[in-house]
Amino acid sequence: MRGSARRPVQIIILLGVLLLGGYAIGKTLFASKEGLPSPGDTPPAFTLSTLDGRTVSLEEYKGKPVVLNFWGSFCPPCVKEMPEFERQYEKWKGEGLEILAVNLSEDNLTVQNFVAGMGLTYPILRDVDKDTERRYKLRQYPTTFFIRPDGKIGEVYAGGMKEADIDERVQRLLKD
Amino acid sequence: MFQNTKCECGHQNPTGTVLCEACGKPLDEKEAGGTDLLEMRYDGAARRSQKADPSIIDQVWNFFSSVKIAVYLIIITLIGASLGTIYPQEDIFLSNMDMASYYKDTYGTLGSIYYKLGLSHTYESWWFILLLVMIGTSLVICSLDRVLPLYRALNKQQIRKHESFLQRQKAVYTGATDNGEEFIALFAKQAKKRHYKVTRTEDALLAEKSRFSRWGPYINHIGLIVFLLAVLARAIPSWQLDEYVTVPEGDTVRIENTDFFVKNEKFTVQYYKDEELPAELRGTNRAKLYRTDAVLYRCLADCGPSSPEPKLEQVASHDIEVNSPLEYKGLKLYQFDYDSTPVLREVSPMLIDKQTGKQYGPFKLAMKNPQTSYELGPYKLELRQNFMEFAIGEDGKPITKSRDPKAPAFIFLIKGPGLSEEGEPYIYFPMQKDKAAFSQDKLNKGIADRFEIKVGSMTDVKFVEFTTFLNVRVDKAMPYIWTGLAISMIGLIMGAYWQHRRIWLRLDGNAVTIGAHTNKNWYGMRADLAAALKAAGIQVDPKSLDNGGNRT
Repeated sequence: MRGSARRPVQIIILLGVLLLGGYAIGKTLFASKEGLPSPGDTPPAFTLSTLDGRTVSLEEYKGKPVVLNFWGSFCPPCVKEMPEFERQYEKWKGEGLEILAVNLSEDNLTVQNFVAGMGLTYPILRDVDKDTERRYKLRQYPTTFFIRPDGKIGEVYAGGMKEADIDERVQRLLKD
Repeated sequence: MFQNTKCECGHQNPTGTVLCEACGKPLDEKEAGGTDLLEMRYDGAARRSQKADPSIIDQVWNFFSSVKIAVYLIIITLIGASLGTIYPQEDIFLSNMDMASYYKDTYGTLGSIYYKLGLSHTYESWWFILLLVMIGTSLVICSLDRVLPLYRALNKQQIRKHESFLQRQKAVYTGATDNGEEFIALFAKQAKKRHYKVTRTEDALLAEKSRFSRWGPYINHIGLIVFLLAVLARAIPSWQLDEYVTVPEGDTVRIENTDFFVKNEKFTVQYYKDEELPAELRGTNRAKLYRTDAVLYRCLADCGPSSPEPKLEQVASHDIEVNSPLEYKGLKLYQFDYDSTPVLREVSPMLIDKQTGKQYGPFKLAMKNPQTSYELGPYKLELRQNFMEFAIGEDGKPITKSRDPKAPAFIFLIKGPGLSEEGEPYIYFPMQKDKAAFSQDKLNKGIADRFEIKVGSMTDVKFVEFTTFLNVRVDKAMPYIWTGLAISMIGLIMGAYWQHRRIWLRLDGNAVTIGAHTNKNWYGMRADLAAALKAAGIQVDPKSLDNGGNRT
């Protein structure tokens, strides 16, 4: 290769490195984090059936503040939270608050009995084969996502909350 | 610094040339007067792109063109890679646990620092990838800058070299001959016998052998570049997949992120007999062989997780054992682990009237999503509540501790003759151990004297004995990785097992000056030279050809 071809070759190789290397490094920087979806992320979409046989997708709730709670009857802090969510739902329903409670893939009878005993009025969604919970990368039950009207996650809380904790977060959510 | 690059022989050399491209005379003025051995690296050719006034692009280029920098990069990468081996990396854990607390709890404060520094995923961290990219760049640029000048230097070698070039080789002979013409002819003949390629003029000769070995390192580098690109290519969507599936015996399970389902038709495990085990392991179950008879299906329609009946088409089947995966179009299913804890699936108990001894049933009771009402002769059973892992909660009420049927319990309402109008509750524990532990009869109080629900025999109990864990992998980069490694190996062999040997001869009247050069095995080089001299009528001890500095 003579001198005249040298500069273009240099530029092509350096550009190639910049592109490939930039892509590889960029991927590590912006790789989907292993853990829970975090504030600012768009929560994974889902379409699940409710206890009363309707089908609900998260997308339908865009534009509304949503509290997305994952619970199971086998998890005592989840059970404790349910009536608190019910009271919060009653309190903020007028302001547009929606609560979606996703059951952790338990069977029909268990969920029906449990919900009937509680008198819950917000929709209970039924996950199947842990699919949704896996996509949300849950590590702990209960886990609650506070989703802003713009469809992005505002806050995440892993573990049981006191009613005051819920109230405070709902108020922040309603302010957005 | 100004450097005169024009040699006295009239050849104009590029900046950075050490030995004149034409005659081989050292260009540096200090060097020119010396008598030390010459540095023959790259035949003294200038590295490509060495300029007197480098621009920014040249400076970046020159940075990567330096072998010194390449060595530092490799050392830093080695140190970085070794950091990743201090504690286990995150990606070896299958469960979705909280990694921050895992490292803290298992390895203490150091573990916590390790996690916070991001060393728990060293090989995916930006700085590690950056180092690899820099090494790759350095590989390309170093090679390019050296191989092209070397190729040119070797491709148009001047046969008659400068006297000082010959005198300062590591193997040198000087002497005299009466008949130069004949001397050269005989010398050439012997060299050809030893498979040298000989070119000559009237008063000079060049004998050369195994030049191709000089390309070995560059071919090795090309292989490494292919390897690195293949590793980077894993980032292309669908090129790599690494999933784990849990398949109870008899079940068909969806493989996440694919269109495939896998069925565990049968699971087999064989344990070592006690006499096959060392003393300290006797009495423990050590698996000798475990095998999943698996069937792979492709899903055609209704594939979603909530779809009750996906449409499946069988595409492959294989008895998967360790090191014998099921393979289908680049998808591989490896045996990973198994669980031999039996899982209850279904029981078929009878309703027994204890007073009359009459039996009603059996009826099928599934652990998951059971039917909620049963007609048994004159009696009617309504399933009111079920518990997967029965326990009594803090407030004295029954609860379930998990969603897996580890200690299932069912509360029925029995209606029928002799029972109250609204029915009477009866709690049923299918597993004998739970029945005893929770005192089923006591819980049922009065009704326990009149009725009992129980299974007749083991044939009425269906359970899954084994659960297999399979690792599902796709790695489309693998053929390219092997190709890269093969190219690299060819390069290494070329460079390692052959040596580039050259002999230059120059005749000045009656005076003969011979210099010889090789990159290794000087012993062989001197033997070749001595043999050629002998054929030309000059007996020399090969050792006497040593011009100093040669240990081999």
